[in-house]
Amino acid sequence: MLNALWVSKTGLEAQDLALTTVSNNLANVSTTGFKKDRAVFEDLLYQIQRQPGANSSADSRLPSGLQLGTGVRTAGTQKIFTTGSLQLTDQPLDMAINGRGFFQIAMPDGTIGYTRDGTFHINNEGVVVNVNGYPLEPQITIPEQTNQLTVSKDGIVQATLFGDPTPQELGQIETVDFINPAGLQAVGGNVFYETAASGAPQVGVPNEEGFGTVEQGALENSNVEVVEELVKMITVQRSYEMNSKVVSAADQMLQFLTQNV
Amino acid sequence: MDRALYIAMSGAKQNTLGQAAHANNLANASTNGFRSDYTQSRAMGVFGDYFPTRAYAMTERPASDFRQGPLVETGHSMDVTIEGDGWFAVQGPDGQEAYTRAGDLSVDADGRLVNGSGLQLIGDGGPVVLPEFQSIEISRAGIVTIQPLGETPAAVAEPVQLKLVRPDLQALEKGEDGLFRFRDPATPPALADPNITLVNGFVEGSNVNAVSELTSLIALNRQYEMQVKLMKRVDENTAATTQILANQ
Repeated sequence: MLNALWVSKTGLEAQDLALTTVSNNLANVSTTGFKKDRAVFEDLLYQIQRQPGANSSADSRLPSGLQLGTGVRTAGTQKIFTTGSLQLTDQPLDMAINGRGFFQIAMPDGTIGYTRDGTFHINNEGVVVNVNGYPLEPQITIPEQTNQLTVSKDGIVQATLFGDPTPQELGQIETVDFINPAGLQAVGGNVFYETAASGAPQVGVPNEEGFGTVEQGALENSNVEVVEELVKMITVQRSYEMNSKVVSAADQMLQFLTQNV
Repeated sequence: MDRALYIAMSGAKQNTLGQAAHANNLANASTNGFRSDYTQSRAMGVFGDYFPTRAYAMTERPASDFRQGPLVETGHSMDVTIEGDGWFAVQGPDGQEAYTRAGDLSVDADGRLVNGSGLQLIGDGGPVVLPEFQSIEISRAGIVTIQPLGETPAAVAEPVQLKLVRPDLQALEKGEDGLFRFRDPATPPALADPNITLVNGFVEGSNVNAVSELTSLIALNRQYEMQVKLMKRVDENTAATTQILANQ
């Protein structure tokens, strides 16, 4: 059957995927710590129908051959780890990382998840947990009589208790970094998992050795830019239409052939 | 049987090949750094013992369109575009040097500097591998400077110069993997050109011109229909001949 039909099918698939990425980005425009995705496309392999330089007669050669492309392929989606803007909330358990680094979350299956979302809460046992109730790693427990909670820029959590003027140290928040954060696997719930592409996590202390500082009372906004996404949506839609035009043109050709011959 | 039927058939077939080439261009309308392909038809005479009266059509790809694609702003510090003519030298899947315009760079888990297709970029000291860094800066001249993890901004690491080349476009050809290489495989790798400048925070879009692709598509579509019509006419003529002869 017509090559053009299959080639434009790959184009339709690619644009469909691009639209999914755009819509997911737009849907997460106000998700704390969300990192936008970008679909990366590459051309599929080319087939040599006629080799350039082949003989056209006994003593002449073709100056150019025919190499036909077979369409487009999605090389992958890339997470763009630019920092979102910081929003002040004045909540003592809201934290944002200003710079490189991720918070560690102990997932229920025993693995460690990584997140930039610093919306923390206290559960019934006084443990600092994320929105889904999974504890921060290393675990920090806040005593009952806590009057004021302070998180320093280097991640030291301190509490002043009722009737005791000297602050007590409750623990140290450790952040981790990856050589290639774009290779992390997003699993939903603002959590990422380590992959072979991201490299192994390097645990560190905030504000040391290149790690970003922990900002108490602030949250990191989503890094999605609405204008960019909407412009992308327009180009995606039009490319989709053009590829479907090719499908209908190829269809017409086949129809014409079957009707006339 | 009249040979017109076969000529029309080969014409229709070549039209579908041309159609595939344009469909491929349109399918890659959002591939970073994509260079669209031209198609053309050539008349190929097939001469036997008789008068040379017939020529078949043949679709071919004479070259790719080397015009610059649109600059798409991303604001991402690792997206770079070459201003004007020029190419990034990357290590192709076969280990040989190849050229591309796709500059959506990133660093993989082994610290290799790769573009969106996962091809490693070549620098002044061979394929580029970067140590762990806190921040990265790619200058206009293609110098990659990193601030190693835990160092002050003053202690920058040894910068790497990306290999940017500007070979004769006539000598380049798109290979089966979409990368550009010298048409003559014996040509030595191109020399780095220090005059090429990069633009940071932008990727180069595909240079496919949707209007001209769709127009070619319509033209080829109609041409194809003409070939099919011709096939039908030949069929009718043959039927008429058979009928007349049968009635004799």
